[in-house]
Amino acid sequence: MAWDNENRENPWRRKEAAPDPEEVLRRLKGLLGGSGISLGIVALVIALVAGLYSSFYIIEPGEVGVIQRFGRFVTMVENGPHFKIPFGVDRVTKVKREQVLEEEFGLASSATSMRGQFLPAGEDLSETLMLTGDLNVAIVPWVVQYTRSDPYKYLFKVRNPRETLRYLSEAIMRRVVGDRSINEVITERRAIAIEAKRELQKALDEAETGIHVVNLEMRKTTVPLPVQPSFNEVNQSLQEKEKMIYQAREAYNKVIPEARGEAERSVRDAEGYALERVNQARGDANRFSALLEEYTKARDVTRRRLYLEAIGEVIPNLGTKYILDPEQRGLLPLLDLGQKKGQ
Amino acid sequence: MGKIASVIGLLVFFILVVGKPFYVIDEREQAIILQFGKPVRVQTEPGLKAKVPFIQTVTFFPKTLLEWDGAPGQIPTGDKTFIEMDTFARWRIVDPLQYFKTVRDEIAARERLGAIVEAVTNDFITSNTLIEVVRSSNRLMKAEDLVAEGMLEQVTQLSKVKLGREQMTRGILEQVREKMSPFGIEVVDFRIKRINYVEDVRKKVYERMIAERKQISQQFRSEGMGEARRIEGEQQKELRRIKSEAYRTVEEIKGKADAEATRIYAEAFNRDPEFYSFVNTLDIYKKSLDEKTSIIMSTDSEFFKYLKDYTN
Repeated sequence: MAWDNENRENPWRRKEAAPDPEEVLRRLKGLLGGSGISLGIVALVIALVAGLYSSFYIIEPGEVGVIQRFGRFVTMVENGPHFKIPFGVDRVTKVKREQVLEEEFGLASSATSMRGQFLPAGEDLSETLMLTGDLNVAIVPWVVQYTRSDPYKYLFKVRNPRETLRYLSEAIMRRVVGDRSINEVITERRAIAIEAKRELQKALDEAETGIHVVNLEMRKTTVPLPVQPSFNEVNQSLQEKEKMIYQAREAYNKVIPEARGEAERSVRDAEGYALERVNQARGDANRFSALLEEYTKARDVTRRRLYLEAIGEVIPNLGTKYILDPEQRGLLPLLDLGQKKGQ
Repeated sequence: MGKIASVIGLLVFFILVVGKPFYVIDEREQAIILQFGKPVRVQTEPGLKAKVPFIQTVTFFPKTLLEWDGAPGQIPTGDKTFIEMDTFARWRIVDPLQYFKTVRDEIAARERLGAIVEAVTNDFITSNTLIEVVRSSNRLMKAEDLVAEGMLEQVTQLSKVKLGREQMTRGILEQVREKMSPFGIEVVDFRIKRINYVEDVRKKVYERMIAERKQISQQFRSEGMGEARRIEGEQQKELRRIKSEAYRTVEEIKGKADAEATRIYAEAFNRDPEFYSFVNTLDIYKKSLDEKTSIIMSTDSEFFKYLKDYTN
């Protein structure tokens, strides 16, 4: 029972309250040996001043004073100057209701405060090592910011609200992470934070801790060090995949429009050819028709004229010309035609 | 007068200080009044209280919610995986008299609670698979990248949870609560704080994770290459389509034009095929015979007939 008594007894209260006023008076009387009445008045004044002084207190802005009278909760007072019954009858506990406090999980500062001694040096913090729903291991650090929004509950309902907050945070965060795959844990931190915050607040309310969670912030979630390179490799290979596809698309987009243009060009060319061909045919045909018309009017002479004109045009341009009589056929072998050509 | 007064004063002082007729119960406390060590009364209301001096003493107990943090222990799960468990419970003293009679103080109470929690938890864990402890719902996990052979199926398998953590902790809580109630203790909450693989298992899990990721990496690369090849094929196909379509169109256009030209020529030349031959042959002479051409002409020819004779 040593623990209970220790906790209960307030040493300050004992010292202040215990001395009997009569005792003090007697002692003073003995010391001065004179007029008791005036001494009694002096002592009374001193006691009055001391009592008045110790009964005065100030509650700062953002603070709440929780008043206990003989241990029993009486009321809460807001900021400003106040009086209480002195000599340990009224006790004031000041709680900074609006102050935002922070609990960190898996960050360097909290490693030693909680269970640091269990961690093998160099290994990841066991506080943040978690099993994911696909039975992988993730490292999930986070921060909880909170206020003591209900000082009454905070002081009287739970013995160790801060510890309770830590335990509940850990249990809830692991539950939330345990229902997600490693990928989700790494990529969907916001969703996890939202769910964990909601669950944590619910649990804290149920436990009557008087704590209000202002913010639950996820820090960078990763995987344990030995596994990290393989996770990076996945990211890298994903980028490689995208790059390969991109390059193939790029080539496609370069080649295909060019081929389309080329096809268009060859079609236009063919269309040109067609126009040319038809026009030429028309020209040739019209020319022939015109000629034919005149020819029919004077067949013989036109024929002669055309023949002679052609001959006249051809003959002067010819190279060697041999004119032979039909009877002189034997001469033909004498002509060295090949040699002539060679020159 | 003064003597009597001082004697009374001394007596009052003695009773007040040593006998302690008054005591204070804090908002957070409850107490048992003991008479010669035997409990006679329970006081749960806070405030200033009185008791019989000298013969009655007061023992205080916390009224608030208390925490219990279980030391991490190694437990094998139903599927023979060794895990480290760290649990905590929250409890309160609901029956101080019973509490005082059975466990007397908090250290003993904690020990009792610890032993019971450990036994019940062990029971639950060893008879369930690991996944039941880890997961608390059948929520389907997103694992788009796990399309590699067999892996997706594995994940789907992991989503089939019969009991789940939430149910299990509730079951443990119920049993622990029942077993703790004879001690005047109400166990309000029980939770699994941490579950981790033990060192050996963890190494194996890491190896599995690495292998899994390598598989995924390989898959991504293959997918990339496959997709690139597909696009290349698409490109080839498109190229051939474009080229062949163009060729077809070109030939069709040309053919049509040739046909048209042929029709035009035929129409015109058909009016006098012989004359056409004549005119065209002459044209060919003009074009094809040049200075490189040697010609042997007979004086019989139409052209030279006047060389011999001018008469008709």
